[in-house]
Amino acid sequence: MPNISRRAALRLTAGLAAGSALPLTGCGRHDTAAAAGTAEKVDASPATGTLNVWAAQGDADVLGTVVKPFKSANPGLVVKTTLIPNAEYYTKLQAAIAAGKGPDVAQFFPESQAQFLDSSTLRPVPDGLVDPNSFFKSLWDAGVADDVAYTVPWYAYTYALVYRSDLAKKAGVEAPTTWAGMEPFLKALQGAGAGHALGADIGWDIFNGQDVAMYAWQAGGSLVTSAGKWNLNTPQMVDALTYNASFFTSGTADTSGPTFLDAQPYFVSGKTASMITGPWVIGQLDTAAKKSGWTASHVATAPLPAGASGSVSFSAGGTWGVLADSANADAAWKLVRYLAKPATQVAQYKAYSSLPAVISAWDDPAIKGQPLMAAFLAQLKNTRAFPQVSTWQQVATRLGKEMEAVAKGKETAAKAAANIQAYAESVGTGTKR
Amino acid sequence: MTASAVPAAGKATAVPKTAARRASRARRAAVAWLFLAPFALVFLVYTAIPTVAALALSLTDIRGADLRTPFAVDFTGVENYLRLFQDETFVRDILNTALFVAVGVPLTMGIGFTLALALNSGISRLRGVLRTVFFAPVVTNVVAVALIWQYAFHMDGTVNKLLGAVGFAGPNWLDDPNLAMPVVILLGVWRNFGIAMVLFLAGLQAVPRDVYEAAALDGAGRWRQLRYITLPLLLPTTLMVSVLLTVFYLQVFDEPYLLTGGGPLGSTESVALYTYRQFGAGEFGMSSAASFVTLALVTVVSVVQFRLLRSRT
Repeated sequence: MPNISRRAALRLTAGLAAGSALPLTGCGRHDTAAAAGTAEKVDASPATGTLNVWAAQGDADVLGTVVKPFKSANPGLVVKTTLIPNAEYYTKLQAAIAAGKGPDVAQFFPESQAQFLDSSTLRPVPDGLVDPNSFFKSLWDAGVADDVAYTVPWYAYTYALVYRSDLAKKAGVEAPTTWAGMEPFLKALQGAGAGHALGADIGWDIFNGQDVAMYAWQAGGSLVTSAGKWNLNTPQMVDALTYNASFFTSGTADTSGPTFLDAQPYFVSGKTASMITGPWVIGQLDTAAKKSGWTASHVATAPLPAGASGSVSFSAGGTWGVLADSANADAAWKLVRYLAKPATQVAQYKAYSSLPAVISAWDDPAIKGQPLMAAFLAQLKNTRAFPQVSTWQQVATRLGKEMEAVAKGKETAAKAAANIQAYAESVGTGTKR
Repeated sequence: MTASAVPAAGKATAVPKTAARRASRARRAAVAWLFLAPFALVFLVYTAIPTVAALALSLTDIRGADLRTPFAVDFTGVENYLRLFQDETFVRDILNTALFVAVGVPLTMGIGFTLALALNSGISRLRGVLRTVFFAPVVTNVVAVALIWQYAFHMDGTVNKLLGAVGFAGPNWLDDPNLAMPVVILLGVWRNFGIAMVLFLAGLQAVPRDVYEAAALDGAGRWRQLRYITLPLLLPTTLMVSVLLTVFYLQVFDEPYLLTGGGPLGSTESVALYTYRQFGAGEFGMSSAASFVTLALVTVVSVVQFRLLRSRT
């Protein structure tokens, strides 16, 4: 979750000072006008002028290198990139947008960008700029609100099962394909010498909330109804919470850890033997093991075990949007179009290991030659987008808290599901209370 | 010259004097305002306006999505305040914060005072070194410290290893709702006793030595000197330290945020952490209301402390 610093909070409050005075005179809330969806024409001529680009630190750190060919092809264009710490990114962006001082192009996160999908904030993606079908469907869908697309996918990730292949081989087991097979598999890994079989995420925050949402999908549930109402107090949500808690109650995972920083050292040392995690981990395990080639000989990956409704995961990553206030939208869209090209996304992969959001880019030998990535590709083809409502982050955070209570036996899964629904209804979906 | 001419003449000379005085006063006022202006401007921009804005926000239903249209939010009066007190989480966090204050303040003051007494009475050769050592936690980066504490109180951490060495199986400190709070409070105490110690030490050194010497001549022992001289004369310092620490613990944020994230099961979440989370979730109205509840708490508790202690000074 994008956290905000106290100082940033104060600055934002200060920025809101003037804005907060007028509403007190009794103005009512206005409904946002429906997105027009009118298409801007973006031709093939070189981009000119100045372009301000904001992105979060991390995958965008190599942006300068990746857009070099674009700059060369557009000598009349000046691209000014500003990288902002991940934790403060959305806060700064929100404040800048509110103050009318936002950039031309901004990066977003498909798992938490719903609050920005509005024509007063972002310009609709021009028809024909990119082919929507070339991206993983859920990533594209994450940028669509009221049938209007506002963002273009950039990089992608999802969760899969990463486990110690050496211990699995020793135990004579293969990766489970269903929920029912998960516990025997984990117990077998423990039998082969792992301390705890699953290095479960115990942050009990928005990321855990996302996990349980994923399990609810696997169980056949949906998080919102077709009418757009919260739909969290369901048997499928109860199943999801129970499934997650079973890792702890069965003793295959520990509520004590590993914590975030310990996850990889625990895995490498055998204190844990599996993780439900993202693809970046693959590139980091050799470092954690302090041995080149350790990952190839000790690790395997598999799609997530399927619940009653299959092996569903969530889509996450990065996207790009052009702000409604941009004075150079033409150049902005040209940059976004460049960033969405398969070759650019492969270049981004080579520079930072960001996996492409364009499906065809996965055919590049640089990615196809990575056997441990196959499970992530398979999983990315079976993902869903989180609810496109601005309060999703709040609800997911609460989900994380309720998961903790169930996992520690302080609350039943049914009570937790009811609590989540009540909370979600109290915050609404972000339009009107 | 007529009799009436005297006052008239007097009046004629008084007018320019008054005018000159007024001009001089105006000049002095202008200079004062000139010196005051930078601070006043900073105060206005960074304190006064945000405070008024926060109060205004607390009376509206403004949320993250409304940033695009900040002029179009609804005035909801005290609804946010009512929602706050209906929120079990907020009520729990108020109680947690009260616990921080109730345990943290006396413990910090007690340790600070004891060390100040020790440093003031003997070990004069090591006073400078010890003062630095004890004050070090105050100026140490809290993020680094919290990380170290996290590992120290981890299941396999230093504390449990030490307990194991003497035959005790250490508990899971930071994952047990009953044990996490004492550890978080301990971190707060560890970070703050140095401030209390330095302030008490300054207070102790201001007590005239001859008072002790006179008392000693009258046969008062160490305990009686402490009871009847040191403690009464230190009351103003005690008042200041207690108010400072109370305000700190009422707004405690760093320790629970960095050490436990408010967990496990919300057992260490403070009101400040709640305020922060609400803001992060885009609930600007609720967050502002929570911050004003904190302000009210700080004000009430500080006034009570002033009244109680000032009556004795």
